[in-house]
Amino acid sequence: MQVELINVFIKAAMDVLRSETGEEPSAGSIKVLSSAQTSEEVTVMIGVTGDVRGMVLLGMSERTAKGIVSRMMGEPCPLFDELAQSGIAEMGNVITGLATQGLEQAGYGAVISPPALVAGGPGIIISTVNIRRFVVPLHCGVGDLVLHAALELAPATSQHGHSNGRAVVAPGVFGI
Amino acid sequence: MAKVLLVDDAAFMRMRCAKLLQEEGHEVIEAANGREAVDVYLAQKPDAVLMDITMPEMDGLEALREIRARDAGAKVAMLTAMGQQSIVIEAIKSGAKDFVVKPFERERVLAAVAKLVG
Repeated sequence: MQVELINVFIKAAMDVLRSETGEEPSAGSIKVLSSAQTSEEVTVMIGVTGDVRGMVLLGMSERTAKGIVSRMMGEPCPLFDELAQSGIAEMGNVITGLATQGLEQAGYGAVISPPALVAGGPGIIISTVNIRRFVVPLHCGVGDLVLHAALELAPATSQHGHSNGRAVVAPGVFGI
Repeated sequence: MAKVLLVDDAAFMRMRCAKLLQEEGHEVIEAANGREAVDVYLAQKPDAVLMDITMPEMDGLEALREIRARDAGAKVAMLTAMGQQSIVIEAIKSGAKDFVVKPFERERVLAAVAKLVG
């Protein structure tokens, strides 16, 4: 179940990065972490609820964020201003939205929250107390990103739905 | 050319869509959430509406239903990251004429507007 979930999000992130930047992205090795995370300079946070619930984080440097926004706009993006922040948050929203379609195809209903953006890092701690996160580095021509997914099946789903008794990501609390 | 109401809580998406619609000669008006969309629609009666779904205050599906309740002839297409089949069906049942899933291609958005005003 864990791999099934994270693969949906990796594919969605790769598809959106390819579409928005025109670059062919690649994914690095998946790590599973439970320690607190120091945020990147820019982190998009999106909540997921439904059969699958939890949080997806997309972290990157400000330079990478500006590079992505520049490609999305088709013009230079010298400042990471409110409009650029909106663009990066929306990219996170689209990645997660696309992933929910993949989850639906796998039989899991899920909806996403409007995105929230944390800027001003590193140094801001996004704590995932006692929760395991899948962490996947993503590389593309405009820079590197890190996808964090801490997801679990909702209790009714995990008991009676598609988990078939397999382990799922432990529940936890995100805070900043 | 048409007057198009763009509804999205993301300023970047409004800017991006407005730019491509204006390049085609369309007039663009904007709203940042569903509640604002209903108010702007009633005040300005646009020819077409491109509506996001996940928004604060009032989501796009609720705004779609409210606009259609006030104007049964309203021409609304959803433009959203939420492309699950259940949501597409709900939108069509609520009166949406088209459903465009982000990330979108320029031609797909222009085709949706052409379909609405054609």
